[in-house]
Amino acid sequence: MRPSCCPGSYAVSRRSFLACVAAGLMLPLTGCQTSSSSSKQITVAGSTTCLPIAESAAEGYQDETGISVLVSGLGSSAGIEAVANGTADIASSSRQVNADEQKLGLTEIVIAHDGIAVIVNTDNPVQNLSTDQLRDIYAGKITNWSQVGGDDLTIQLVNRDEASGTREAFKSIVMDGAFFDRRAAVLSGTGQVRDVVSRSVGAIGYISLGFVESKFAETAVRAISVNHVEPSEKTIASGGYPISRDLYFYVKGTPTPEAQAYIDYVTSDKMDSIVRDAGFIPVTDDESAGE
Amino acid sequence: MEETPSAAPKRELALVSHATYVKEKALRYLFFACAFLAVVTVILIFAFTTYSAFPVFTDIGLANFFSLTWAPSEGEYGIVSLLAGSGLVTVGALVMGVPLGVGTAVYLVEIASDRVRKIISPAVDLLAGIPSIIYGFFGMVIIRPFVAQISDGLGFGALTAWFVLAIMIVPTITTLTMDALNSIPMGIREASYAMGATKWQTIYKVVLPAAKLGIVDAIVLGMGRAIGETMAVLMVVGNAPVIPSSIASPISTLTSQIALDMSYSSGLHRSALFGMGVVLFIISATLVGIVRLISKKRR
Repeated sequence: MRPSCCPGSYAVSRRSFLACVAAGLMLPLTGCQTSSSSSKQITVAGSTTCLPIAESAAEGYQDETGISVLVSGLGSSAGIEAVANGTADIASSSRQVNADEQKLGLTEIVIAHDGIAVIVNTDNPVQNLSTDQLRDIYAGKITNWSQVGGDDLTIQLVNRDEASGTREAFKSIVMDGAFFDRRAAVLSGTGQVRDVVSRSVGAIGYISLGFVESKFAETAVRAISVNHVEPSEKTIASGGYPISRDLYFYVKGTPTPEAQAYIDYVTSDKMDSIVRDAGFIPVTDDESAGE
Repeated sequence: MEETPSAAPKRELALVSHATYVKEKALRYLFFACAFLAVVTVILIFAFTTYSAFPVFTDIGLANFFSLTWAPSEGEYGIVSLLAGSGLVTVGALVMGVPLGVGTAVYLVEIASDRVRKIISPAVDLLAGIPSIIYGFFGMVIIRPFVAQISDGLGFGALTAWFVLAIMIVPTITTLTMDALNSIPMGIREASYAMGATKWQTIYKVVLPAAKLGIVDAIVLGMGRAIGETMAVLMVVGNAPVIPSSIASPISTLTSQIALDMSYSSGLHRSALFGMGVVLFIISATLVGIVRLISKKRR
């Protein structure tokens, strides 16, 4: 997962940006075709977390249809705002619309699932923690593994930095208003968290489920179950695993045919591997989870 | 500077052509501009940092700023734990690095043969050229697991930073100490040997005391390097903004916290980071001041 950028900054897919500039330059030349070419551009604005998915999909979709897609990461709120006032066709968001935004009458489309796995060392016998126990551990109230049925060993907390979207999601889902213990080691990357936990017996950390099994790392970590639900693509897609969230697209009213085609592309199985590479779980899993 | 173009030709450059005169004058101002740039940069950076840090005085308040708790998301901007972290990391690095650096310098100047010196001296210089991120990586991958093993923790913390910084400040301390030792006249050593002193006695009782101020100079500059080091420290201290409870538990320092938070901070949080920058600036200015004072005394 990418750390979210500082407010105000935004990244534009270079390719789609160039395409857009090129389209703009063509306008005076093409004359009467102006109206049709300008409507054939889709603007996607919003979450930086969704950026890798939206950008890869934009490239693939552009190659297939020739319609340019302009993707920018301004933050979820800014994206929703942009769709509401018509400056963007699609808003990408790493959270659901809040009460105020619900009044805008936006249509919600789930584009991917994201589960946060709680990881421990492979030598740690603890198999399950409840969300309450997790909260107490991360708030510094539970400090020894023996308090949650493990060995008599100090719990070594590993946390993410505040710029991390994973930390943000973990905080809102697990912490429930409680504050993180400040004595925790703060690391600035999923890979670091994984590496440190894999090498320290008493350590506990959290990372996106997609990164628990790593092709590149030589050491292993174990994802424990939370509230007795094993984290897996199935339990996350079905909503059974508690520490999960969805990534969304929001559109206002009925999307244009082009926008609808792009949304279909994002949620199609063509995107499965890209979504998985970005550390998320594709929505095409949903049907199998329902069985 | 007091000479004006019209008056100057009558002075030292009276015999040269007008073109040469202009060239000489232009070069003079060019180099003055180069030198002046350093002054302007320092002033601009200090002014900008202080200006950006201004809300520390108005909105955060000095009482909050110099309190114990650093929790920007909860409106607490206390830097004392970070100061303590910086202090602990620096002191430890000096305790380990100074004997190493001074020892290396003494060996190279007083004891080593030319052949050995030709190998060690460039190695020390190279040590200064290694980017700090490499030190940090080395600390994270090699030293941290080692510290984790002996301390039964994660291996993040002051101890790991000490090992890394001790190596990092060796070149600074060694080079400056060598300068100090080389400036001691040979006659002093010869006088000592003539009195029947051994090599060790000469070093310990005569050379080192004579070079004392130069060595303090070296230590102070090494201290500046240790306290200002960011990347390597960021990677090994664990970044937990708490008062250090042990040398092997995660802590945070002023510099590493600035580097960690700068990318996403806004509003008062960012002002507080600039405030920390001002504090670092003052610490570093004090250290430079000390060095200047010592140099004056040496002369």
